[in-house]
Amino acid sequence: MATTSDLNRVTSIVLRFMRGPILLLIVVYGLGITGMSLIDGHNGRPMSLFHAFYFFTYTATTTGFGEIPGDFTDQQRLWAILCLYMGVVAWLYAIGSIIKLVQNPHFITAVAERRFARTVQTIREPFVIICGFGDTGSLLARGLSDNLMSAVVIDSDPERIKALAMRDYWVKMPGLCGDASVPKHLVDAGIKHPLCRAVVSLIPDEELDLKIAVMTRFLNSKVRIICRATDKQQQEHLSHLQSVSVIDPFELFGVQLRTAVTGPRLHNLSQWLVGAKSVDMDRQTQIPPGNWILCGYGRMGRRLHKYLNSNDVSTVIIDPGLKESKLSSNMIKGHADYDNLLKAGIRDAVGLVAGTDSDSKNLRILLSAGALNPDVYMVVRQNHHENEMVFNAAHVNLTMQPSLLTARTILLKLISPLIAQFLDHLRAQETAVTEQVVERLYQALASHKPHLWTQKLCDSSSFAIQEQLDKGRVLRLEDLIRSPADRSKSLNCLPMVLERGGEAVMMPDLKAQVKPGDLVVFCGDTQSQQLLNANISNPYTMEYLITGLEPPRGYLLNWVWRKWFQPKAKA
Amino acid sequence: MNLEKVIVGFFAILALALNVVFVMGDISNPTHHNVWILTLAILINLIAVGLKLGDRSQLGAILMATGLVSSLLLISARLVWVANADSGDDLSVASEQMVLIVSLAGGALVSNLVSVLTFAADTVISRR
Repeated sequence: MATTSDLNRVTSIVLRFMRGPILLLIVVYGLGITGMSLIDGHNGRPMSLFHAFYFFTYTATTTGFGEIPGDFTDQQRLWAILCLYMGVVAWLYAIGSIIKLVQNPHFITAVAERRFARTVQTIREPFVIICGFGDTGSLLARGLSDNLMSAVVIDSDPERIKALAMRDYWVKMPGLCGDASVPKHLVDAGIKHPLCRAVVSLIPDEELDLKIAVMTRFLNSKVRIICRATDKQQQEHLSHLQSVSVIDPFELFGVQLRTAVTGPRLHNLSQWLVGAKSVDMDRQTQIPPGNWILCGYGRMGRRLHKYLNSNDVSTVIIDPGLKESKLSSNMIKGHADYDNLLKAGIRDAVGLVAGTDSDSKNLRILLSAGALNPDVYMVVRQNHHENEMVFNAAHVNLTMQPSLLTARTILLKLISPLIAQFLDHLRAQETAVTEQVVERLYQALASHKPHLWTQKLCDSSSFAIQEQLDKGRVLRLEDLIRSPADRSKSLNCLPMVLERGGEAVMMPDLKAQVKPGDLVVFCGDTQSQQLLNANISNPYTMEYLITGLEPPRGYLLNWVWRKWFQPKAKA
Repeated sequence: MNLEKVIVGFFAILALALNVVFVMGDISNPTHHNVWILTLAILINLIAVGLKLGDRSQLGAILMATGLVSSLLLISARLVWVANADSGDDLSVASEQMVLIVSLAGGALVSNLVSVLTFAADTVISRR
């Protein structure tokens, strides 16, 4: 077990360091006590052993109560002087060793690792292991905390782990400073813990991400792995491992841009569902067909180019790194400055993507483009999360932040995997389907902030449903979302996905029957979640919601009611 | 309006009222307290408990608890009365014993009060 080895390590370091001082203390104590209990006092007898120990204890620790139990003879005083010097020196040596030990960096690491492993062992809720606490990692941790899910963080940068300890999370987020690709650290982080739900690997070095994924598969064959990889070869390797989700920020970026260009309504919906601020469901900008200018042709630029091309959008690329030999008519070598933008035809272009990997360059491009053609649809890539305020102030049509996008996508996979499926489903459908969904959500929620939650039917918290089903009643989705105040009205929520036996139904019909073991993803406000939870755990409310009747609760009155008053039609 | 609430409320409030009727008066004077009222209060309390049997809601639980407490205290008061009076003469209780009987009924009064307040509060905040 990892914890015992840590325990042994700490104990063994303490023992090794303290062996000398403790031996010296024992010898000095033995010598002093023996001498004191041999020398005669005023009453002609030496001190008892206990009194000698008592005397030595307060003398050696420099407390010095005086000559207790009675006045000493000169022989005793002589020995007392010796005791004092011996004892004090031995104690100073011991204390000095302890101080030296607690300052020893190896000891500090050993203690920190042990404390971390113990904290992880005490976690009682499902948790996620996050390897790498950079921009994406910290955004993900924040999102998990908002959804009350714990995470264990490993990062090799001690400053980041210190910063983690200062954050105000709603849940426990223990952090370990260390190399996440060392198996021992992964085990300490709880990879074998039965409640460990997933390992998320977000280390910039993709070799390490792959290593972590492979080691995780060996250490725990069931846990889910979510791994960031941009390299085709890495993705290939990862796809052969079981239950691994590969997250490619550039791919996500491309999909997002395509959705924003081809289906703005769906783009708004998905942004709204993941809780992005300032998404107006009504606002939808249909971008007219025309030329796009792509500034930056690195890994991301290539992806964007591919996605735009696949939608028959013609593009002009501006990048200083383009090879002269491969230049074609729609490529311009150079920085995206005033002249080059003009050359690329900014005045007639409908869209512009400022997608370089430097935030200051992107902002400069925005300024020049804004001056040349204020109507152009502007998409900007924000590389660093800390620059958020500037990008918000820039009023562009679409800001895309790879770290935020990655964090949100992973969060959605962890918190409500069914919603991720739901969005994929909508992407594959006609836009009319999205329109319908948006319409229904709008009616149910109005302008409330959306909140997604998954409800498992007939577990311990929804026993009232089981009771109703046992009575042979038919329970429909619409019954679940009725308002307890008035069953003809419904709560501010809507079932989005109904999963039964591994099969998911998107936007299920409200007349659909529910069965034990179903998973339902609801979208609604927080108040509706509370009310719904109260409803499905209260047998009387459930009875009212399904039948509209409120039979008496006590045995006696209930019997009388059933005998004489129960409406015959319902029987 | 819910018929069950009317019936349960009737018995809860009647139990409280009878309890007050019994406790009113000089605490040590047997002539100020009527043994019939005490007996009736016990009966009404027991009925109130009986009506709550089978209710699994939180309100049902607290009403059941208060009903049991007041029944227990009132029955104790009645037993003390029986044990300390000459047979056939209920007024022959010594004033020290009368103090105990009435204070037991006073305890039941508190419990009945809690029961009525809880019931009323729940009825008022009820969504339907």
